[in-house]
Amino acid sequence: MVTEFGLRLAISLTQIGAVMCIVVLTVLILTLAERKVLGWMQDRMGPMEVGPYGILQPFADAIKLFFKEDIVPAGANKLIFTMAPILCLIPTFIGFAVIPWGPNWTFEVNGIIVKPFVISDINIGILYILAFASLAAYGIILGGWASNSKYSLLGGLRSAAQVISYELNVGLAIVGVLILAGSLSLVKITDGQTGWFWNWYIFALPAPQLFAFVVYVISVVAETNRVPFDLPEAESELVAGFFTEYSGLRFAFFFLAEYANMVLVSCVASALFLGGWNAPYPGTLMDLVGLSSWSWIESTMWFAIKTYSLLFLFFWLRATLPRLRYDQLMRFGWKVMLPIALANIVVTAIAVFIAQQIK
Amino acid sequence: MRSSHTTKRLSLSEWFKTITFYEILVGMKATLSHLLNYRPITLQYPHEKRTLPDNYRGMLALLRYDDGTEKCVGCDLCEAACPSRVIRVVSAEVPGEPTKRYSKEYYMDMTRCLFCGMCVDACPVDALGMTREFEWAVYDKRQLHLNKQQLLAIGDRSFPVREKRLELQHPNVAFFNVAFNHVPPKPN
Repeated sequence: MVTEFGLRLAISLTQIGAVMCIVVLTVLILTLAERKVLGWMQDRMGPMEVGPYGILQPFADAIKLFFKEDIVPAGANKLIFTMAPILCLIPTFIGFAVIPWGPNWTFEVNGIIVKPFVISDINIGILYILAFASLAAYGIILGGWASNSKYSLLGGLRSAAQVISYELNVGLAIVGVLILAGSLSLVKITDGQTGWFWNWYIFALPAPQLFAFVVYVISVVAETNRVPFDLPEAESELVAGFFTEYSGLRFAFFFLAEYANMVLVSCVASALFLGGWNAPYPGTLMDLVGLSSWSWIESTMWFAIKTYSLLFLFFWLRATLPRLRYDQLMRFGWKVMLPIALANIVVTAIAVFIAQQIK
Repeated sequence: MRSSHTTKRLSLSEWFKTITFYEILVGMKATLSHLLNYRPITLQYPHEKRTLPDNYRGMLALLRYDDGTEKCVGCDLCEAACPSRVIRVVSAEVPGEPTKRYSKEYYMDMTRCLFCGMCVDACPVDALGMTREFEWAVYDKRQLHLNKQQLLAIGDRSFPVREKRLELQHPNVAFFNVAFNHVPPKPN
């Protein structure tokens, strides 16, 4: 005889475990994919030695990092130095709790309503993600400060300034979508984009969020410290930025956090702007051939395709663009991205108001 | 904060290019074209190797004649020719043959060698050769300090086809440093 709470806990833990596995697997794939894609774009081959065409490289990297010596530099604040990577990793992974991976189905187990494709559909989903994404900056800043190294400190400070500047733009870029959807829940937002692909909020009438999408993508590249905004870890200036002094598993945690953050923001972008699990055509092909119970595969595939295309964009940008100077970064964030995001909110609000009046 | 942003009046097309990230898109098109026309210039080195040029100057080696005797006559000219003092020759008489000399000891410190090939040019009897070996990474630097046996071994594995002795190549020419054991002595 299981209690209701026990059952709930078991289901939630199963979902959490599954999502964690997917995310870590995606990160493993990403580390290889990044090196491969970068190599191909630069007429190289990328890793080729471990396994056929180097496909086992992530495992080799993981094993190497696992067995590396764990160095704590002299004069470092040990507690904070140890906590920083975890502080960086956990908020990123927590964000995945509200990402809807597949259609908004529900089924009942012993009177408990279970949503199989989202761990928890809370009604402030997007706020929750933004809140925790900002918390991850603490890990970077504290890690930079606790290392007792000038490079780490400079990297951490740069990261702080950068994340604050660009977090704002991310938040404001999302507001347009929220006005269109009238909800903060990612499930409801994605549900509002069913039908043809012109119902996706990036193209949707009355106010296409194209500019918001561009602002979001650029800001998110800056927020995840990726090229061309990778000033916190600029090799040529600050050895490796905030994780200069980190080695072994702690370095692996920072690394994992950065890539998991990329996955998270790509998931959010595809859910908010690109229709999430919705195919670019109404319904699913599985429904047409009468396999309705299997249509979730098609939906999750669409979600994965959108997410992975965005992740490919990250690599593509990295292969193409050089690093910005710090004043360019700040000017671009405050003088270009911010006004566009604000204007987008005003225009969207007016357009939605007019559309409601006409209706 | 300095204002590096010079307010230059942009033409309409320039303005349009700026707001659509035209330059960035051109760059991204370039990288994508490399991805789509994937022709890597990488050579997977340990598995596949470049073809070396004919006049490749690799590891140095000491050579032998076809009867297995060493070519080196211990003249020290290679030592004199070497710009980085790689070579050290200890010359000596061949025991029992006072007209003939050989190198009793022969050392090469390959850590200093710059593979100029001047020792090979300097050798009067072509006793030195440059092989096509180049994979000489070692864990201990002292392993690159080679003695005569090692240099001869390199020569043996790299030059399987050996010359006849000089006096047999040119039977009517007088040679120094030749024992002429095979020639019957003139009657006095």
